[in-house]
Amino acid sequence: MPHDVTMPQLGMAQDAGKIVSWFKAPGDAVAKGDALFEVETDKATMEVEAQADGFLSRVTAAEGDDVPVGVVIACISETAGEDAATTDTAPAEDAKTRPVQDGMSLPEGDTVTMPQLGMAQDTGLLVTWLKTPGDKVAADDVLFEVETDKSTMEVEAGRDGWLAATLAEPGEEVPVGDPVAIISDAKPDAPVARSVKNGAKAEAPAKAEAPAEVEAAKPAAAKAPAPKPPVPVTTGGHILASPKARRLALEQGLDLGRLVEAGHPQPFHVSDLEVLRRMPERSTSAAPAMAAVSRRLTAKAGEDGVAGFAAWAADAQGLTGDTILAGLAGASIGSAVTVCVAVERFGDLAVFAVPPGPALSRVAPSEEAPDLLVRDLRGTHLASVEMGAEDVPVLTVTEAGGGLQITLECAANSMDGAAAIRLLSDFAGRMEQPLRHLL
Amino acid sequence: MRDITLSQAVNEAIAEEMRRDPTVFILGEDVAEAGTPFKVLSGLVEEFGPDRVLDTPISEPGFMGIAVGAAMTGARPIVDLMFGDFIFLIMDQLCNQAAKTHYMSGGKLNVPLVLRTNLGATRRSAAQHSQSLQALVAHIPGLKVAMPSSAYEAKGLMKTAIRDNNPVVIFEDKLMYQDKAPVPEEEYLIPFGQANIKREGRDITLIATSSMVQVAEKAADILASEGIEAEVVDPRTIVPLDEDTLIKSVKKTSRAIVIDEGHQSYGVTSEIASRLNEKAFYYLDAPVTRMGAMDVPVPFSPALEDLTVPTPQSVADTARKLCAGELVHAA
Repeated sequence: MPHDVTMPQLGMAQDAGKIVSWFKAPGDAVAKGDALFEVETDKATMEVEAQADGFLSRVTAAEGDDVPVGVVIACISETAGEDAATTDTAPAEDAKTRPVQDGMSLPEGDTVTMPQLGMAQDTGLLVTWLKTPGDKVAADDVLFEVETDKSTMEVEAGRDGWLAATLAEPGEEVPVGDPVAIISDAKPDAPVARSVKNGAKAEAPAKAEAPAEVEAAKPAAAKAPAPKPPVPVTTGGHILASPKARRLALEQGLDLGRLVEAGHPQPFHVSDLEVLRRMPERSTSAAPAMAAVSRRLTAKAGEDGVAGFAAWAADAQGLTGDTILAGLAGASIGSAVTVCVAVERFGDLAVFAVPPGPALSRVAPSEEAPDLLVRDLRGTHLASVEMGAEDVPVLTVTEAGGGLQITLECAANSMDGAAAIRLLSDFAGRMEQPLRHLL
Repeated sequence: MRDITLSQAVNEAIAEEMRRDPTVFILGEDVAEAGTPFKVLSGLVEEFGPDRVLDTPISEPGFMGIAVGAAMTGARPIVDLMFGDFIFLIMDQLCNQAAKTHYMSGGKLNVPLVLRTNLGATRRSAAQHSQSLQALVAHIPGLKVAMPSSAYEAKGLMKTAIRDNNPVVIFEDKLMYQDKAPVPEEEYLIPFGQANIKREGRDITLIATSSMVQVAEKAADILASEGIEAEVVDPRTIVPLDEDTLIKSVKKTSRAIVIDEGHQSYGVTSEIASRLNEKAFYYLDAPVTRMGAMDVPVPFSPALEDLTVPTPQSVADTARKLCAGELVHAA
C-alpha cells in the first residue's frame, strides 16, 4: 500500500513548514528511517524520516515551498517507477459504470486529508460536509467541519477544482492524515460519496476474499494509526526528557510514555507537558471516544408560555421567575424526593429546593449543591449553545423564533439517554404550556 | 557618576588603600617608572615613593617569594605579574607557600597578599601571553580568585582584596583596560562571593566571567531581538562562588550557559556547570552548557585567534538551540 508523506507538525503553534531541501529524488529507493527531506519552522530545522520502505513518488512540494501541516507532499510507493496514484487511477469509464458505493474506483485528483488540529489528536470526527460531491470548489471554500476533543473547526479545500469524492460520512471518525476528499482538476464524471466503513469494506475483498465483516475491518484498523511526526533521534526504548520535564510529569501524575505513543518528537521539555496535559484521559474501555462523549439534546417550544404565567404568578402568588423555572425544571426530573435546582441568569446563581409535586409555592431557596442547573438566556442574542458537559446536567433556555429552544447538556455517565430525553421533553412541555405542570 | 577606565579604577583602588594603610606596598616588573606596560600604575611612584612602589628584576619567583615573606611578617604586598601566563613561574610561592601557610602554621601566620595579573586573548600576543589561567589557581584551596568585568568591579574588588587577610588573585582582562564604566567618587567595596545580575531574563541564564560578561550581554541583545530573554549573571569572584544566586537564576530560567575565557576542559565553566547539575538538576530543561576557549594554544594568527574564544554570535547560537529544545549533545 503506498504511504503518504505529509508535512509534520513540529511545534505546537506551527501551521506550515518550509521544505529546505529534499534528500531523495522522485524514483529513489527509500528505506524506513531514511532522511527524506529537511523542514524549517520558525523554531527549528529538522530532518523528516521516511515512515515506510519503498520508492519516492508523486512529490508535490519543491524546495523553498511553504506547506501547511498535514498536507500530503509525496508518496512512498511499493514499486519503482510507479506513480503512486496506483490505487486510484481507475479509468474514467470504470468510474462511470461502477456503483458509487463500490469505492474501488475513485476519481483522480489531490486528496484532502484529515488535518491534525492538536498535537495529541489521532482522529477527527467529520461533523458535516459543506460541499456535495460534484461541486466546484475554490481553495478557500470550507469543505467540511471536523470536531476533535478540543474544538470544532472548518477545513478548507486548499486548492481550486471539483469535489470529486468524499471518503467519509458525517459522524465518522477519520484518522489524522487519512484522505477525506478528492479534489480533481476537471469536473468529475461520476462523483463518489462513500463512508470510511464502506471504503474499508470495499478494499478488503480486493486483497483477500474476506467474507466476514469482522475480518474486513482489519485493514482499516491497521491503517488507523496516523502518520507519526518524525522522531529525530533513536531512543533505544529510553525516553529522552529533560530533568525538569520528568520532575513535573511525576509531580503532576503525567505519563511521558503517552507522548511517545503519540509520536511526539523527543527530547521532551517542559513545553511538551502542555501537549500531554491536553490529551484526553486514557480510557480502559474498548471505545475511548465514546466514553468521553457528553450528551447534548435540544428541544423546541412553539411559544414561551412561562413569560405570561410568571407575570400572573408574581401578581397572584408573589412567586419570582427563578422560583418558577426551578419548580418546572425540578418537577421534570420526576424524582420522588426533594431535588435541588440552580437557576443562573447573567452569572447570578440562585439555588432552590424543589419538593415532589406541582406546588410551586413550596419551592424554597436552598444552600445545597444543585442536582440540575437551569441557565436562562432568554432576552439575549444567543440562539444556540454548545458548552460541553459540566458538573451537573444543564438546561439552557434560549429564544428561537417566537418560541424557545431548550438544550440539555450533561456528561454521558451522569444521566442515561432515556432519562435525558424524558427530562428535556417534559421540561420543554412545561415551558410551552405551564398549565401542564399543574395537571 | 563619572566614567573612568578600568586602568584608572585599579590605580585609584591601589592609591586609596596605600593612603589608608601604610603597610600596603606594590612590587613587580616595571611598576614604578614605567607604570606597567598597560600604564595602570602611572603616578603611584610619584606619590608613594620607590620604597612602596618597587621595581624588581625580571625574576617572578624571586619577587613573589619576597612578597609572601613580607605578608607573613605584617606587610600587605600587592604583586604585579605582568602577564597571567607567568603564573606558571610562581606556582610554588603561590600555591605551596601563600595558599597553605595559614593552615600549616596552625593559624599563627596570615598571608595578606594580592596577586594582580591578567587574562584574555585576541590581543595578538601569541600563545605565551594570551592565556586565561584562572582555573589553575581556583583549583588550589586557600586562594581567592576575583574576576572583575568592568571598571566598577575592578575598583571595588581590588579594595576588598587588599583588605583581605588571605591571598587573593585578581585577573583583569588586558583588553578592557581602556574600557570606561561609571564608578562612584565615594569609597565602596564589593564583597567577595556576591554575584551580580547584570540583566534579568526568563528563558536562559548566561553565567559569564570577566571578559565574557560583555560577550554575554551582547548575546543577550541578539537573543532579545528574537524574543528570547536571557539573564546575564557575573559571579565576580569564582572563589568564593556565589552558588545561591546562580542556582536561583537557573531554577528560574531552567537553562544555563557558562562562559569563561579559560580553556574549556577542566575549567571554570566545568566547575560551575557541575554545581548547577548537582544542585539544580530537577529544574533543568536543557543540559547546562559550557563555553570556554578552545583546547588549543592561542594562535598568533588573528584570523585563527578570533575563532578560539566564545563570541556574542556563538553564545546566541547555543542559547537559541537550548531554548528550542534541540538535542544539543546527542546521547
